[in-house]
Amino acid sequence: MLIAPLFLLGLLGLALPWWLHRLETQITERELFSTTRFLEPSKKRIHVQRKLRYLVLMALRMAFLAFLVFAFARPVLFKKPEVKVVGDDNVHHVLMIDTSFSMHEGSKLNDAREHAVQILANMKSGDVASLYAASSTLTTLVDQSSADEVRKQLPAVAADNGRLDLGAMVAALNGLLKNSKANVVLHVISDFQLTGQAVRFADMIPDVVNGRAVTLDIQQLGAKTPANYMVESVVVENRASVIASVRVFNGEIAAGAKKAGLSINGSAVQTLDVPASSSGLATVTFKNVMFAEGYNKVDIRLSPADTLADDDVRYTVFDNSPPAPVLLLTPDTKSLGVTYLTAALSTAPRGYAVEAKTIKDFDTRVLQRYPWLIIEDLGAVTPALAAALTDYVHGGGSVFAALGQRSNTLTTVPVLGLAVAAPTPVKDQATALISQIDSSHPALNDSSGWNTVNVRVYKVVPAAEDRILIAQNRNTPVLIERNIGAGHFVLFTSSLDNSASDLPVKPVFVSFMAELAQYLSNEKLLVKEQTADSYLQLTQSGGGSGQVEDPNGKKLLSLQGTTQAQEVLLNLTGYYRVFTPSGEVLVAVNPDRRESDLSPMSAKTLQDWQTSVAGAATAGAVAVDTALASKPSKDANEIEIWRFFLLGMAALVLAESLLGNRYLNFKTGTF
Amino acid sequence: MATTAPSRSPMHLLDPKVLASLSNLELVAKMAVEGFVVGLHRSPKFGFSQEFVEYRAYGEGDDPRYIDWNVYARTDKTYIKRFLGETNSHLMILLDSSASMGYGSQGLSKLQVGKFLAASLAYMASRQHDAVGVMVFADEVLSYRPPASRSGSLQGVIHTLDKAEALKGTAISKPMTRFQEHIRRRGLVVVISDFYCDTQELLDNVRPLAVQGQDVILFHLLDPSELAPELKTSTLFEDMETGQAIEVSPVFMQKEYRERINAHISAIQNAASGMNCDHVLINTSDSLDKALHSYLTFREKRG
Repeated sequence: MLIAPLFLLGLLGLALPWWLHRLETQITERELFSTTRFLEPSKKRIHVQRKLRYLVLMALRMAFLAFLVFAFARPVLFKKPEVKVVGDDNVHHVLMIDTSFSMHEGSKLNDAREHAVQILANMKSGDVASLYAASSTLTTLVDQSSADEVRKQLPAVAADNGRLDLGAMVAALNGLLKNSKANVVLHVISDFQLTGQAVRFADMIPDVVNGRAVTLDIQQLGAKTPANYMVESVVVENRASVIASVRVFNGEIAAGAKKAGLSINGSAVQTLDVPASSSGLATVTFKNVMFAEGYNKVDIRLSPADTLADDDVRYTVFDNSPPAPVLLLTPDTKSLGVTYLTAALSTAPRGYAVEAKTIKDFDTRVLQRYPWLIIEDLGAVTPALAAALTDYVHGGGSVFAALGQRSNTLTTVPVLGLAVAAPTPVKDQATALISQIDSSHPALNDSSGWNTVNVRVYKVVPAAEDRILIAQNRNTPVLIERNIGAGHFVLFTSSLDNSASDLPVKPVFVSFMAELAQYLSNEKLLVKEQTADSYLQLTQSGGGSGQVEDPNGKKLLSLQGTTQAQEVLLNLTGYYRVFTPSGEVLVAVNPDRRESDLSPMSAKTLQDWQTSVAGAATAGAVAVDTALASKPSKDANEIEIWRFFLLGMAALVLAESLLGNRYLNFKTGTF
Repeated sequence: MATTAPSRSPMHLLDPKVLASLSNLELVAKMAVEGFVVGLHRSPKFGFSQEFVEYRAYGEGDDPRYIDWNVYARTDKTYIKRFLGETNSHLMILLDSSASMGYGSQGLSKLQVGKFLAASLAYMASRQHDAVGVMVFADEVLSYRPPASRSGSLQGVIHTLDKAEALKGTAISKPMTRFQEHIRRRGLVVVISDFYCDTQELLDNVRPLAVQGQDVILFHLLDPSELAPELKTSTLFEDMETGQAIEVSPVFMQKEYRERINAHISAIQNAASGMNCDHVLINTSDSLDKALHSYLTFREKRG
């Protein structure tokens, strides 16, 4: 601590009083005078005495700074810890059984149980044992109990679909063992996958608390590393083809070794041979596949199954819903604006089908069929349509409207009632860039690209309740939103063709229309594919939460949970059904890809880990690393003395003030 | 409640601190002179009267502009009109800008007060139609402007004064020698300095001017802290010209220093008296009326 760079830097501060005092003795006693021809040196060197007295003040100030620096360093006095030695005390055996997805392979889990039984048999009388299941989370099965109690719980240990990260496991273990007083022997029973090694090796070293010795006992499972097949990904192309990527770890794909079967909604559709591949990666393409409307369960299953069968199948969800209809009211269905809007909305991830209709021929009674609509030019809206639009928005519909060339004569914006301050022809106005974007709005999450858009706008004066989403540098609104009743009205103060704005020909237009459509249609997209042992965010499903059904058809939420739950743990592989206010959604869950790679950590790495934890401990042996044991505990064996430095600082401040005041009284006068 | 501003005498304009607040040196001179003249409770034209005195027959060398042509028409003889105060004197101002003139304990240096005084004298002389010149010197002549009475010469003098800065050491012999080389005509010579020089050196250099027939007045500028210093603690003083540092005690400054500076002032006075020059001691914290009054008295006496 005393050689910490910041501490040494703080000590440099001690030079400050010395420098200031040196300055004072030179400058304050040396004064300019017009001439010294009439002066005579005094015989007594008074200023030398003064320097000596100032040195006392300087010393006080330096001492104050030194105390301050030491107080910030939080110095401690150590009490010699009591080292507990194995043999003189009981031992706490911590059995950590890997239950991650890879433990489904072969007989690994049974082997793990046998290892545990063997360890329990070797326990001495008086020793205690704990049993933990280690996967994505660390589950306590038995805490500090007898060997018999642990033995009873061993059959309950089961592999799940999570992923084990050894760094996360040790971090969780540190919290569990914080209050343990005995020496600990950590028995880790696992296949020790290379992909499970922590990114930082130091994260795998458990803390040593209360001077307790920790010894690591590595129980590695699986003498051989089998080749393991998995379906890595599934992609649906053009709503007619399914492309599956098949990978094998620790081997290569031989011709005819595997077949890939495609199932749609539980029905087998096609089976193809997986082509041979020396790199271990092959692609299988299923053509002319017919999908049902809406959500489809798309499974790819490899046969025959290998020793780790659960990753031979891949679950995927494909949304084959037809494009959502969007009403576009326009003065001219062949205008450029219609073309731009149709193109942008058809490329949105959800897919929208624009139904362009002329305003003068539009029957307002069909408005309610559409969750939202677009008006290309508000200047062409008739009073009857404006009244119908007002009712439509109040009732929960949403509108995106623009001011086109027919808005030249507008003095008030229909529906919103906003004044148009300068209804000059669009062509006479100057273009300006965008300067202010409210990127917190859901329709503007991707706001990059707006700063290059040039827009000539109608100067609309917003009302207090309006939210300005985009404005120009003259604080002129470009995009305004008003919430009316249960609906939204979004106004673009320029045209949607490229006569007054280059927005429709900019890339940002496509992403903006996609986000705006999703926002105005009140659709929230769930992530349709998740990894096992991750959490499904129910808030993404829109509005409140909903009911969730796991792949076995079991409802996961209670009645109260359906309105309050924010997230659900997806611990099974397969299809989860999520019932939301806007409909039913499917979520496919697959195991973490890294769990399929069964390559183990090298023997050297395991040896280094063991050595780092407890010196030269060998498997099954219980020894104490006295060096680690003597490392003091921060909580119990140290006495903080920074408070004494604070008291000393208070005394120094008092002394410095008194002495400084004396000097101030002494140094008065003119000349 | 409305309050009325207290009426202030024009004499306050002669306070150097008030003058220092004016940025333009010409304005300073004008304010100082007008304030001084009004303060006399006499005609603002005092000293500058153009009152007719007598006729004199035109002689060779007289300016034909002053011939009274009406008299000539009646008598066919040329007469010159003479006026009171008409002397056409030359005024030469010598301003010391050595480093010691930069000293000032009241926020105003001796050089600044010297500039105010010189500008006021130049303005006063200019109104009297006297030719005015200026020489700024330290250990050599730093700038020189010969006497002139034409329009615009006053601004030139004031500009020269304005540029003066306290920079170098004092050595009066070299500038005075140069000045004697330039001066041709008899007139008034005003020397503004703190006279931190040897008395004998001053005598040697000013006496030739007196011999030439110049009327010399010495304005001796000293700061109140130079005349009566107050020191409560021992202090190290650094000479502004030489950089020499001397540590002095309050007791010395209280007694012995004052005796020495007074002796020096007396020596300068005596030397001036011996050369038939006027010596005026100016405390820079006092107003300028004493200096201006001395000048007018001196001019009246000599003119």
